[in-house]
Amino acid sequence: MVAPVEPKPGGTLRNAFGGVLGFFILLLIGVLAFSIRLFSVIKYESVIHEFDPYFNYRVTQFLSKNGIYEFWNWFDDRTWYPLGRVIGGTVYPGLTLTAGTMWWILNSLNIPLSVETVCVFTAPVFSAFAAWATYFLTKEVKGIGSGLTAATLLALVPSYISRSVAGSYDNEAVAIFALIFTFFLYIKTLNTGSLFYATLNALSYFYMVCSWGGYTFIINLIPMHALLCIVTGRYSSRLYIAYAPLVVLGTLLAALVPVVGFNAVMTSEHFASFLVFIIIHVVAFVYFIKGILSPKMFKVAITLVLTVGIAVCIAVIAILVALVASSPTKGWSGRSLSLLDPTYASKYIPIIASVSEHQPPTWPSYFMDINILAFLVPAGIIACFLPLSDASSFVVLYLVTSVYFSGVMVRLMLVLAPAACILSGIALSEAFDVLTRSVKLQLVKLLEGPLSNAGDTKDENPTAQNDVLKADKQVAANNKTEDVKERPSKKNRKKDKENTEKAPVKSHNEKRLLVLPLEASAIAIILLVVLGSLYVIHCVWAAAEAYSAPSIVLTSRSHDGLHVFDDFREAYAWLRHNTEVDDKVASWWDYGYQTTAMANRTVIVDNNTWNNTHIATVGTAMSSPEKAAWEIFNSLDVKYVLVVFGGLVGYPSDDINKFLWMVRIGGGVFPHIKEPDYLRDGQYRIDAQATPTMLNCLMYKLSYYRFVETDGKGFDRVRRTEIGKKHFKLSHFEEVFTTHHWMVRIYKLKPPKNRMKGKTKKPKPTSKPLSGARRDGSTKKNPWQ
Amino acid sequence: MAPRSAVFCLSLYLLVLVLVLSASGTVGVSTSSDDDLVAELESLQSKSPSGVIHLDDRLISRFLTSVKIPRPYHLIIFFDASSLRSKSELHLPQLRSEFAIVSESFAAHHRGLPSASKLFFCDIEFGESQSSFSNFGVNSLPHVRLVSPTTRSLSDSDSMDASAFSRLADAMAEFVESKTKIPVGPILHPQPVSPRQQAVLLLALLIAAPFIIKKVLAGETLLHDSRVWMAGAVFVYFFSVSGSMHNIIRNMPMMMTDRDGRPVFFYQGSGMQLGAEGFIVGFLYTLVGLVLAIVTHGLVRLKSVTVQRGMMLAAMVVVYWAVGKVISLDNWKTGYSVHAYWPSSWK
Repeated sequence: MVAPVEPKPGGTLRNAFGGVLGFFILLLIGVLAFSIRLFSVIKYESVIHEFDPYFNYRVTQFLSKNGIYEFWNWFDDRTWYPLGRVIGGTVYPGLTLTAGTMWWILNSLNIPLSVETVCVFTAPVFSAFAAWATYFLTKEVKGIGSGLTAATLLALVPSYISRSVAGSYDNEAVAIFALIFTFFLYIKTLNTGSLFYATLNALSYFYMVCSWGGYTFIINLIPMHALLCIVTGRYSSRLYIAYAPLVVLGTLLAALVPVVGFNAVMTSEHFASFLVFIIIHVVAFVYFIKGILSPKMFKVAITLVLTVGIAVCIAVIAILVALVASSPTKGWSGRSLSLLDPTYASKYIPIIASVSEHQPPTWPSYFMDINILAFLVPAGIIACFLPLSDASSFVVLYLVTSVYFSGVMVRLMLVLAPAACILSGIALSEAFDVLTRSVKLQLVKLLEGPLSNAGDTKDENPTAQNDVLKADKQVAANNKTEDVKERPSKKNRKKDKENTEKAPVKSHNEKRLLVLPLEASAIAIILLVVLGSLYVIHCVWAAAEAYSAPSIVLTSRSHDGLHVFDDFREAYAWLRHNTEVDDKVASWWDYGYQTTAMANRTVIVDNNTWNNTHIATVGTAMSSPEKAAWEIFNSLDVKYVLVVFGGLVGYPSDDINKFLWMVRIGGGVFPHIKEPDYLRDGQYRIDAQATPTMLNCLMYKLSYYRFVETDGKGFDRVRRTEIGKKHFKLSHFEEVFTTHHWMVRIYKLKPPKNRMKGKTKKPKPTSKPLSGARRDGSTKKNPWQ
Repeated sequence: MAPRSAVFCLSLYLLVLVLVLSASGTVGVSTSSDDDLVAELESLQSKSPSGVIHLDDRLISRFLTSVKIPRPYHLIIFFDASSLRSKSELHLPQLRSEFAIVSESFAAHHRGLPSASKLFFCDIEFGESQSSFSNFGVNSLPHVRLVSPTTRSLSDSDSMDASAFSRLADAMAEFVESKTKIPVGPILHPQPVSPRQQAVLLLALLIAAPFIIKKVLAGETLLHDSRVWMAGAVFVYFFSVSGSMHNIIRNMPMMMTDRDGRPVFFYQGSGMQLGAEGFIVGFLYTLVGLVLAIVTHGLVRLKSVTVQRGMMLAAMVVVYWAVGKVISLDNWKTGYSVHAYWPSSWK
């Protein structure tokens, strides 16, 4: 719906001016989206955040160094030692390929940016793209004004910022753009019926499949919309062009991505699209027959076609049902099932239910993540129904499904955010449209009375009149375009009815301008602006304070100024520079990606938690007494053990706080590790009341070794207590490095002892404070002490 | 030849008879009471519709503590307490009915087989058998225990892992199979709709089908009314932003009562919410949007300027109040207040 071209030269000038202005607004929106995400770089530094992005960064480094073919066949032996991991076949390559391409282009232009810099700024750049995609999508639905508003809202929305600040180099960074852009191309195809856009749509879908597992949302939402259009009698050839090529090309392309492969045709998540594909063909056939036959012949034919069509449909549905029913989980993955039946995960899959981002959100989450958009969305929904077009029905469907899914998993708030922005943009834009129109037109009337003979206002009046005319025309034109759009589906009987309903509205529009009282409108505009500024203030705060911490560099503000804790990188740099290239480093899986990426050393387990037994082995080693742990680590060729300890500076997410998970996961595979052994009366504690098993396990010892030397008392500032066992020595491990704030401690496994003749028989009480539970460990004297 | 063989046969017969008699004589002393017990259990079992035997302290001692080991049967016991049945978080009534389903499935699978008398399903109630609860050492519910033939002390019997209760009947059947090595057989879940109801529904559907198809073809169903879709969309939105999914998944009550017995509708702390609280805020969220939509799309069509003015003022007051309410509630609940972020040099 482009503004109508006016015959007057003044009108074209105004339109051209509007176009240029719109372009610059869009440019500014892009700058806004990019720059609001730079708080993390300004407040901290240009660094990759958290855990998973380090893996993506490492893959990108590999890609930029070795090229795409090497990347595709990359078997990574630096991780999951001794198993390794086939990286090329198990990652969604979209993000990596995107950043790699950007780096390659920049370097070809002789702009020597490092891979890390490109990775850090990928997410903000794609946020700007996502804002532009939102503009195009909303423009297709409700016009330029709504598009610009929606794009502005999306540039700022906190839910999306949380996943796309500079340095947050994760799949979602590019996937949200791909998602919106795919939807835009679908709507564009639906509005134009152009095969060109349909092909682009399939390609965009391919990019989405490359980028994120969330592509299943698209391949279920679009069939749902197509089905909805068919059921409500909105079938048209444009719908066919928008839908059929997407399914065929999209599925073929999706199967090209190694990590998806034959899942694209084998799993139930994709079956809905095939089912609708069949239905749309049946419907298209019916319409075709209807077009070439006389009404009477059609009556005869339709019974024939319907029986055949229904028979085919039933046969295919039966096959699908049989296929689905033959698999144990009915062909759905656990995560998808938990979306359909929200209580499923909490009942059957504790590992999914336990992850914090899979929790169902409460109402404050909505206020935090989409803020005032939560208020505006219902108005947007209603605006989309007045009048309902194919495009606006799609937007409403997108919102309804995503808001339901976000209610099940807080993580899916990210998918809701664009929908909420689009609908709020429509609502805000329509409200401003009505209110400013009321103010402008009535202000003119008001001024016209007393100042009619003053020459100064002469300039203003024509433009104002022009506006009246334009508004009138726009309303008429809107209705006209509406009609144009409806025309192909006018073959439907009920369309006529709708048009007759619309006719009086149209004449009513032409008769009288729709305005509200002047002063009330002015107040309402002010209120809306206040509401909007609340949103901006909240978003800036969220971007600056809530979502910008990289969690690899920590800061704390105290009375004597800002403290920076850079212990993680200190430790990884130490490993990189002081250990052999092939040394294996054991740590809890959280630090696996970081160790491989920053220290370039082989790890036993990492954040891609695909092998539970392996993780359990490490968990068992951490929960075992020193000697048993040494044996486990030695059998895995481990040279160094890395633990994260926050007791000195009060960093709460350290290994001691995660330790019960190590015990649980370890105990799940190796039953001799029992959780109650580590708990005193069901309480987890590390003070003097702690159980002997706890005080003798490797994690306790590695965390608190020499800790008493810091303050003389051994006071743990996270657990807020003095530790239970203060003075002890290590028999099988030696401390090789402890960072400045003791946050990371690295130990080396001592080499195996030489056998000492005659000493092995005599159990002798030693001065070593080893536990009584260890029967054989204390019998051998350690030559290294 | 013939008489000799007859004598031989007779003597063989006698020998067998004597052997059998003596065998039954020696074994019979111990089995006769066992058989009695089994028969008694079976008669008790037949009295209960689902085959779950209701035990009390007397029956516990009769069937378990005073019986010579090894006992000829396994007993699986469900510990119930009528005083705790009202506590929704324990799910006792649901678990008890699942237990009955397992019992029925077992009975159906083993009907007429000797294995049917190897395992009996029992339940015991806390109020009437407190001493048995202490003998078993049961101090928390829900609790299911299996007393195997060789169990000497009741407190040594195998108890079912508490975390497995969430999987209901399947977990109970697995537990039984793993401990007794007797297969329970397929779990016979009761059908939600009985066959007769199914037939009636099918018939009704068949009769209605032509009318429905006619309506669909004519485009006159509710599905073709966009207002229905609009109301549905707004409702789904309201339902989701009010955090109802959280309430369903977590089984949150609509409200709580504090120590003085006054109702509490709002829970302080961001990780949790009560049902009523969610609906109130969800309503406020939706209300603002609806008012805005009415002003933008409905009010402009009114002819009377006075009515327009009055309604707009009312709408603005309502919106202002609703937004302010949500902000203050959010501030109270999570401690977050909307505040600006300034560069440190501007302060």
